Amino acid sequence: MKLPVFLLLALMPSVVFAEADRAKSFGNPGAPLTIELFSDFQCPACRALHMQQLPLLIRDYINPGKAYLVYKEFPLNMHKFSREAAAYACASARVGKYEQVADALFQNQPSWEESGKVFEIVASVLSPAEQKKVQALAKDPSILQEINSDVQEGQQERVNQTPTMIIVRGGKKYPIGGSLNYDLLRRFLDDLLK
Amino acid sequence: MTFSSRAGWAIHLLLRLVVGGVFVYSAWTKLREPWSLFAISVDAYHVLPQWGVLAVARTLPWAELALGLLLIVGFWRRVSTLAASALLALFFGLMVRASVHGETIDCGCFGPGEAISPWTLLRDGSLLAGSVFLAIKSFWRKKPMSPRAGGSESLIEAHVGDGRNLTA
Repeated sequence: MKLPVFLLLALMPSVVFAEADRAKSFGNPGAPLTIELFSDFQCPACRALHMQQLPLLIRDYINPGKAYLVYKEFPLNMHKFSREAAAYACASARVGKYEQVADALFQNQPSWEESGKVFEIVASVLSPAEQKKVQALAKDPSILQEINSDVQEGQQERVNQTPTMIIVRGGKKYPIGGSLNYDLLRRFLDDLLK
Repeated sequence: MTFSSRAGWAIHLLLRLVVGGVFVYSAWTKLREPWSLFAISVDAYHVLPQWGVLAVARTLPWAELALGLLLIVGFWRRVSTLAASALLALFFGLMVRASVHGETIDCGCFGPGEAISPWTLLRDGSLLAGSVFLAIKSFWRKKPMSPRAGGSESLIEAHVGDGRNLTA
């Protein structure tokens, strides 16, 4: 009896993280390409990518089922409110609102970066019930563990800047960092899909 | 061949093989991947318009391969060492520029995923120094002295002659 309980406990974190990953993923999980996007809510280049290139990427590759997008948190220590924003975003994923919260955080980055009022922005896209849940969840150790796990994964993948996209095709990984020219990224993704 | 000239020849050969080998390896890391991946690395430096980025991404790996092979084989030494030095000086200058501007971009030296760092600057700087040394050596060769112009044989004769004069 003890062994199945032990196995269950041992597998729990991976099940929790797999669930969390699904809540922060978009598109067809069976797509030929997987794009892991390591980003920081307080980083200006991440904001530019989120607002300019990501909608195009979603239109051309995620929605047609060519690529599967997985968001990963990579809050940099140099940014004062990055971890707090990441915690709210991960907590929002648990109530199915990751995309909306991420949009709000990136769109209003200059304002909360200056005021420090991160939750005000997060709350603006949540219902009162969701707000309570997200506020409580953001302090949950499992959320902090989820962020740390993403950061560790990024470090293992040698992520050295934000944003960094790790494009996975047939087990092979291609890290692409920094602000991107969408036309060149499109050429590369099309080459991988050939 | 004296010990010093033999050692110099060995160092010269080793340096040529190292610089040439690095060029071939660098070309291979780019040619085995879709060329558009290297185009993204070139674009990150923000020095070329898009048509220039595409042209460089398509041709530079082949140029690196050709230069590397020329250096290893030892053909056209002046041209190959000079071209390698010019190319390495350009890469090094661009990396220093990005570093000074605080840009954390991929160096693009051996495929993606290697950011510009003190280590990459040291590595490329050392390669540049080695290549410049090879270029200087290929242009600056000792001219063999002909007997008429006072070559080694006439020098010995002159020395012996002087000795005779002294003992007489």
